[in-house]
Amino acid sequence: MAGDEITTVCATPEATRAVAAAVATLLRPGDVVALSGDLGAGKTCFVQGAAEALGVRVRVQSPSFVIVREYHGDIPIRHVDVYRLNSIQELIDLGYDELFDPARVLFIEWGDAVEGELPGDRLEIEITGTGTEERRIALRGRGTWEQRIAGLPSEVAL
Amino acid sequence: MIVLGIDTATSVSSVALAGREGVIGSRVLAQGRGHVEFLMPAIVDLARETGVALEHLAGVAVDVGPGLFTGMRVGIATAKTIAQNLTVPLVGIPSLDLLAFGVRYSHKLICPVIDAKRAEVFTAFYRAVPGGVERESDYTSMTPQDLAAEILARREHVLLVGDGAPAYRDAFAPLDDVEIATRQYPSAEVLVELAIPKLEREEFSSPERLEPLYVRRSDAEIKWDRRGVVIERPNRIQIPKRSREAG
Repeated sequence: MAGDEITTVCATPEATRAVAAAVATLLRPGDVVALSGDLGAGKTCFVQGAAEALGVRVRVQSPSFVIVREYHGDIPIRHVDVYRLNSIQELIDLGYDELFDPARVLFIEWGDAVEGELPGDRLEIEITGTGTEERRIALRGRGTWEQRIAGLPSEVAL
Repeated sequence: MIVLGIDTATSVSSVALAGREGVIGSRVLAQGRGHVEFLMPAIVDLARETGVALEHLAGVAVDVGPGLFTGMRVGIATAKTIAQNLTVPLVGIPSLDLLAFGVRYSHKLICPVIDAKRAEVFTAFYRAVPGGVERESDYTSMTPQDLAAEILARREHVLLVGDGAPAYRDAFAPLDDVEIATRQYPSAEVLVELAIPKLEREEFSSPERLEPLYVRRSDAEIKWDRRGVVIERPNRIQIPKRSREAG
């Protein structure tokens, strides 16, 4: 079971948001979603789609410069980007441990760079560019998510 | 001489006003979050009820951690602001000192333990001395298991005090000579009690220089092998090459 991944190909940013919205149906308060992919891959685009599906009424913006943004929704979310940080200590000094909140869904951009600091139960989203517009999205469940990922709506599991 | 104490470094926040004759009043918020919302209203309410005019404060004391990041920052920022506005001295006291001072009548080796999350505790060892406690090891963070091993190696009766003791009870349970104090959190009452003699001895810090007590916990760098790689974005206004390179 470990290492299983679900992949899907999205032709447009809108398709990425739609996949994210489908994934969001599985998200519960306290969940952690780690996103990886190069600059411009669409990590924030994915969070936008998921946030909208979670009832966030404002447009999610990249947290690269402020590092953490929070949004109210049916399920509140916290959106973190570690891109500007260099050391794990900086991450800790920013109150990283307090970002994990049982009442919120936490999205972490560049999660793969801080893998050792991520909780064992998490959903990993890896976005890869396969053309100018086209993106390959790989979903991997870690810990309890190995089972939970099976609950994805069929339109995602292509 | 009336001093305001602010303690928001752990999951129980408190504020207190005290004079030379002791604590005049205090407010406690026993809830993990909500430091920001609690702090100023609590101070204003406390001042009103005790009839203390805040502009007559002789000093401000604050718990500088180690502890919860958000609370610590909120408490320190608030204390600095009040001290600066009133041009009164500011005293910062570490959370671990407050916990140890709170159990200073113990004859055991005193070991405050604050839950640092990430399966670690902030800790240091103290011993009771006339009039208070004396710290005999550095402020540090470690796993509760490592702390248990260190306590075992010391072959002494130890009193654990702080929320880290019940949080990691399993790690300390095998130790015979360990007692866990009922006190679990630093408090603003202890803080002002400790701060008044310090203010009288003029052991204070300037608001510009007072910093949270961060205990270093990691030397690891973030693995940034792919940070510079850019995927061309579709449907975006083309950024001229020159300015893109400037960024």
